[in-house]
Amino acid sequence: MFAISNKLNLNDIFPNKVTIWKLRNNNPLRKSYVNNNIKIDEFDALIKITVEMSRYLYPIIREILKSKEDPKNNTSVWVDFNKRFIELIKERFNSDSMKVKKLLYQAENDEIVIKSLLTLSLCISNQGYQKLRNFLFDF
Amino acid sequence: MQNKLSFHQSSVSLEIIGLPDYSNNENNDQISIISQWKLTIIDKPLIEGKVEHLVPIMNAFYIYSNLLIKNEIPIYESKLIDIKADNLYIHNIVLKSSKPNVKPLILKIGNSLLTDTINCFDQLKESPKVRIKNTHLSNNIPKKFKFGLNNKEKLINFFIPPFMAICSLILFSSSFIYFYNPIEVKEKNEIINPE
Repeated sequence: MFAISNKLNLNDIFPNKVTIWKLRNNNPLRKSYVNNNIKIDEFDALIKITVEMSRYLYPIIREILKSKEDPKNNTSVWVDFNKRFIELIKERFNSDSMKVKKLLYQAENDEIVIKSLLTLSLCISNQGYQKLRNFLFDF
Repeated sequence: MQNKLSFHQSSVSLEIIGLPDYSNNENNDQISIISQWKLTIIDKPLIEGKVEHLVPIMNAFYIYSNLLIKNEIPIYESKLIDIKADNLYIHNIVLKSSKPNVKPLILKIGNSLLTDTINCFDQLKESPKVRIKNTHLSNNIPKKFKFGLNNKEKLINFFIPPFMAICSLILFSSSFIYFYNPIEVKEKNEIINPE
């Protein structure tokens, strides 16, 4: 993430890795949640980084989405992704929270994961930043 | 000689054929007068049409993807194209021909092809070499407004039946006033039994 923020010339907002880590801790679902007020330029910078990452990861995102379309063929990509996703959530998120429990519950997390992947894959164009911003404000 | 421009995204490619608008002093490689477009999706039949079909189809895909992401019912229906979700992973597209006696083309595409198609449309929209005239391409559709109206209608439909029921109950019960007046009956009883 820090490398991408450097690439996007966001050094003023994220001068080091710690600033990014602190911002990520604004997520109330995290174990290490800290309630800091996020500034609008930090919010915009995070969106820019997310869009750049999804642009870079589009072939992988697409492959994950595709592997779920036809359960008879090539489900290993989806299984691996979901396994890693759950591992990360268990490792970093507060598992006492009901929202986190939902993410860990297989039947419910499929929809959340697919919609999140779809949102990311639709924001890879040059106007992706504006698109993702609008999606988030409408959420 | 017509210009051709292609936009590719993984398994989908979009080809735009047309001419520059020389009256606006446009460059030779520009396309402003679109005569034909072709959407090729791997393993699916070719979709092609004129410019008047391109914009509604693009809008249909944008609106549908917005509905899909925003947890609203993912159904889009129009004279030209219907899109609805079979399930979370497969989308059913029905393309209706404007010519009579031509059967609609039915396609089933997954999320991967849906995103490829929309990304192709994004490339077209962002291309400085193609200008789509007199269109209102909506990438970020003001759905809230549109659905707000629907919700208002739904809200009215929700309140009308109980309101009508209450009104009819009042009307019905008020008619009993003419049949039974407890004070009058009490007075009559007093006249009959003065004690």
